Amino acid sequence: MLILKTLSLAIIFITCAILGYCYGQRFTLRYENLVSLEQCIKILETEIVYGATPLPTALSNVYKKGNPRVSYIFEKIKDDLLEKKRSFVFESFLEIEDELYGKMNLKKEDVEIMLSLGRVLGSSDRHDQSKVFKIVLNQIEAQIEDAKIEKNKNEKLYRNLGVLAGIGLIILLV
Amino acid sequence: MKEIKIYNSLVENLNEVLRDTLLKIPFHIKGKIEEIRLKRGMPLMIYYEGNDYFVSRNGEITEDISKAVIVNEKHIESTFQLISNYSPYAYLEEIKNGYITIAGGHRIGIGGKVVYGQNGIENIKNISSLNIRIAREKIGISNFLMPYLINDKRYFYNTLIISPPQCGKTTLLRDIVRNLSNGSSFYKGFKVSIIDERSELAGMYNGIPQKDIGIRTDVLDGCLKSDGIIMAIRSLSPEIIAVDEIGGKKDVEAIHEALRAGIKLIATIHGSSIQEIREKQSMKGIFEEKVFERYIVLDRSNGVGTVKALADRNYNPIYLKKGA
Repeated sequence: MLILKTLSLAIIFITCAILGYCYGQRFTLRYENLVSLEQCIKILETEIVYGATPLPTALSNVYKKGNPRVSYIFEKIKDDLLEKKRSFVFESFLEIEDELYGKMNLKKEDVEIMLSLGRVLGSSDRHDQSKVFKIVLNQIEAQIEDAKIEKNKNEKLYRNLGVLAGIGLIILLV
Repeated sequence: MKEIKIYNSLVENLNEVLRDTLLKIPFHIKGKIEEIRLKRGMPLMIYYEGNDYFVSRNGEITEDISKAVIVNEKHIESTFQLISNYSPYAYLEEIKNGYITIAGGHRIGIGGKVVYGQNGIENIKNISSLNIRIAREKIGISNFLMPYLINDKRYFYNTLIISPPQCGKTTLLRDIVRNLSNGSSFYKGFKVSIIDERSELAGMYNGIPQKDIGIRTDVLDGCLKSDGIIMAIRSLSPEIIAVDEIGGKKDVEAIHEALRAGIKLIATIHGSSIQEIREKQSMKGIFEEKVFERYIVLDRSNGVGTVKALADRNYNPIYLKKGA
């Protein structure tokens, strides 16, 4: 009986700790994904502004060169663009919006920046595109800073909260 | 069938609404269409056999403007995105010259607001019209002419093709280049350099000629004729240089340079007769020196690309053999 009780308490503790860890991990994920996204956008900038590479090829190159955890969305945009013969690049960006929220744990402001890139990507000359990239990269940088502060503040907090909630529940039950 | 395939694959590059409409056009007409003209706020037009027609929503060809599909701003914008592969920035050099060449070698003329900068034209904005010229290869159309352009000692006569616009001079020049480059049973192929100022001859797309221009042909794409001729002489060691639409003073100077280097020349020029060309101020020197040894005059009397006359260096007619 004692063994069963101990086992149950251990399970409760571990579950709480894992929940706390997972919740805290979301902040790390957002931060890491934003950093990778920034790198991908920088690669895209190089391809377009300096290489004048046509957009579908540039998107493929970002997929190959960037961190695959994030860069796969650029390949998705390219596939959608070409397969569905979209009239505007923005339509393909809208297709990956859910992915940005879900898998990548991004916030509304982060996704909006990405969509704003989609609105103007490839629609003007290199000089204008360069300006767009500058603005987008500045905004992403600000979001990274924000994500970093949130991560430092909340990651440990939720992890500890999980552990403490586990201990609290055990005390209550005992 | 091939013509229809070319048409269908080109139309795939247009805005969805226009694409659906143009794909509904009857088969027998699809193969003949030479141009598709899109203008903001104007009816969708196609051009073939010397006339333009409107296209209705269900693909009917009509001369009744009220039935025509009206092209709007979104149609133009999205078509421009599609034809430029979502990358107008990559085609800026071409756009500055007023066109884009797409896969298949089709050329799309652009109308809109021309933006000037410190170095001349910088861009075209607020695009108001797109004129899509369907590039069609007519492989073999020059076969009957080749014996008149090369003699049995493998000597190629400098040739000038004279033709009004839309009479097939570029198509004929391309096929002559293909024949010269590939060679045949009675002559070995020549090394040919094409100076393709407007990407029409070879239809270069991403470094690949979209047209059959022969195995011994080099292309200087998007290059001014005057610069290209000199560049080709210096670096490509051609036996023959091919250029489309000569006429400028600088072109004439470059032609002289090529002739001094012992290189043969084939060129086209806008005009309807030898006499008309002889009177052009810029061409006077060339005619006085009798640079050209063969003149081919085209018209549309028996369809596009009809050879109206063939003449030698003294402008005496050469009669084509029967059946040619």
